[in-house]
Amino acid sequence: MVARGHLIEPTACVACMACSRTCPTKAIRVREGLARIKYELCIDCGACVRACLHGAACAATTPPSDLRHFEYKVAVPSLTLYAQFGRDVTPTRVLYALTQLDFDAAYDISWMCEMLAGATDAYVNEGQGPWPKISVTCPAVVRLVQVRYPGLVANLVPIGTARELSGKLLRRRLSDELGLAPEKIGIFFITPCTAIMDSILSPVGLEQSYFDGALSIAEIYGPLLRALATAPPADALTDEISPRGLLWAMAGGEIAGMRDANTMTVKGPDVQYVFDRIESGTFQGVDFIEAYICPDGCVSGGLTMEGRYAAQRNIQKIAKSLGASPAVGEERIRRLLREDFFASEEEITARPVQPLGRDLREAVARQKELEALIPVLPGKNCAACGAPDCATLAEDIVRGEASLADCVFVKIERLEDDLRAREARVP
Amino acid sequence: MPAEVTEPLLVERFRIQGGDYEHGGDAAAQIKAIMRRLGIDPNIMRRLSIANFEAEMNLVMYADEGVMEFQVHADAVRVRVADRGPGIPDIELAMQEGWSTATSEMRARGFGAGLGLPNMKRNSDEFEISSTVGAGTTLRYAVHLA
Repeated sequence: MVARGHLIEPTACVACMACSRTCPTKAIRVREGLARIKYELCIDCGACVRACLHGAACAATTPPSDLRHFEYKVAVPSLTLYAQFGRDVTPTRVLYALTQLDFDAAYDISWMCEMLAGATDAYVNEGQGPWPKISVTCPAVVRLVQVRYPGLVANLVPIGTARELSGKLLRRRLSDELGLAPEKIGIFFITPCTAIMDSILSPVGLEQSYFDGALSIAEIYGPLLRALATAPPADALTDEISPRGLLWAMAGGEIAGMRDANTMTVKGPDVQYVFDRIESGTFQGVDFIEAYICPDGCVSGGLTMEGRYAAQRNIQKIAKSLGASPAVGEERIRRLLREDFFASEEEITARPVQPLGRDLREAVARQKELEALIPVLPGKNCAACGAPDCATLAEDIVRGEASLADCVFVKIERLEDDLRAREARVP
Repeated sequence: MPAEVTEPLLVERFRIQGGDYEHGGDAAAQIKAIMRRLGIDPNIMRRLSIANFEAEMNLVMYADEGVMEFQVHADAVRVRVADRGPGIPDIELAMQEGWSTATSEMRARGFGAGLGLPNMKRNSDEFEISSTVGAGTTLRYAVHLA
């Protein structure tokens, strides 16, 4: 099995169906008392991790002990980390505090976000369809497109992400600067969600991630809070932070930095609604869509500590206090564009759901079986069978992965029929 | 050139109610879900879905009621949409890009750019339209699988 950003811990699972019911791609079944993720359907959104009350569906982030395998350890925090400590804790102090943990250095990615807004502007202005273009910032959205909307793969912007491009620059630079072999430098992302962890383990759009792993914000929150108490005041620190880039932590931030494109933001469950409509040919008048699986973008990721409303306020206040001037010169963006620096390294391919049959005829035969099963099933979507709803059970049955007897209603009906038949035989 | 129409492998019918904006697009969505399960090529799926959505919304906007029939053939996916409604007096005119009778309410919902019928034709490999004023309109279109 390919390593993914979250998993089910078998000993903790109580087979309650909470994860299966909440999964937006119906990727989880509970069979034989254990929830199992069908990874071919999973987009790693982390909805199951949020829904699980027993700690069974959990993030598979890098354990902090892995850091000791490296001689020089670098932290690259998600912008969302800056939003966790109130509006008076500046990004520079957070970066400093990271170096008081097990990291030798910490690097900001807000300026890379600002550059990417410029690169995306340039790409959209080239004017090549299909429209609208879809952002690749949220890895769960990219997986959703691959799995559920294969026809929209061509709409994904063929540009790398701020995290990976920052990692790429650091890999190039640090090895030379430090005189260390590349394998001795460990670069770790500090992630707000399971999806980014997943994108590091099983990257899309590049052959291999530039990161050695990702630690969750929730996990390092406590130690970081303690380290912040001893961090010097903000004016004593000099890292360059881009106020425009900072806004990428929240939904709407990505398009806020774009110049003249006709843009929109979609998030949470609306993403599937909008993508369905795009597949049907609507939203043609929109140039660019930023989309997030989480309800408010990265600040609402499942591995964060600060609530999403407070986090948005924090990030806006911090950005405002830094002023509005761009941190990156346009010439720098143009130079990197000429170098093709931003381009994604590999084409993103569709990963459509396995059809019902090996060929059209077999698939049609099973589709008919599936339709015949619908009236047989109770339609209560009780999920007691281990599938999230009756239609999914029907599909599992025709795929040979479940049986009609898994349905408790059908089973009771059969038992009652048996009973009646037996009673009828009694003289 | 229309391919020789064979016996369909699968036929699915969906009723569509005129004026029912709330459910407008449901038939197209269900057909898309079926195509996904059948393993229809994403590009073919997308083209037929665009035509289906246009046809369904046209029906919702203009007609009283109708049926969308989806057929899977070995060589093509075919759709027939028949409605009971006002019909189209001048088909040639309706097939022109930019021509629309959409009301401001329809336009407010993002329709009525006059791209409907030409867009359906552009996205299908076969396209036929027949209409009787005062009775209704029938559309037949197909996307070839190969």
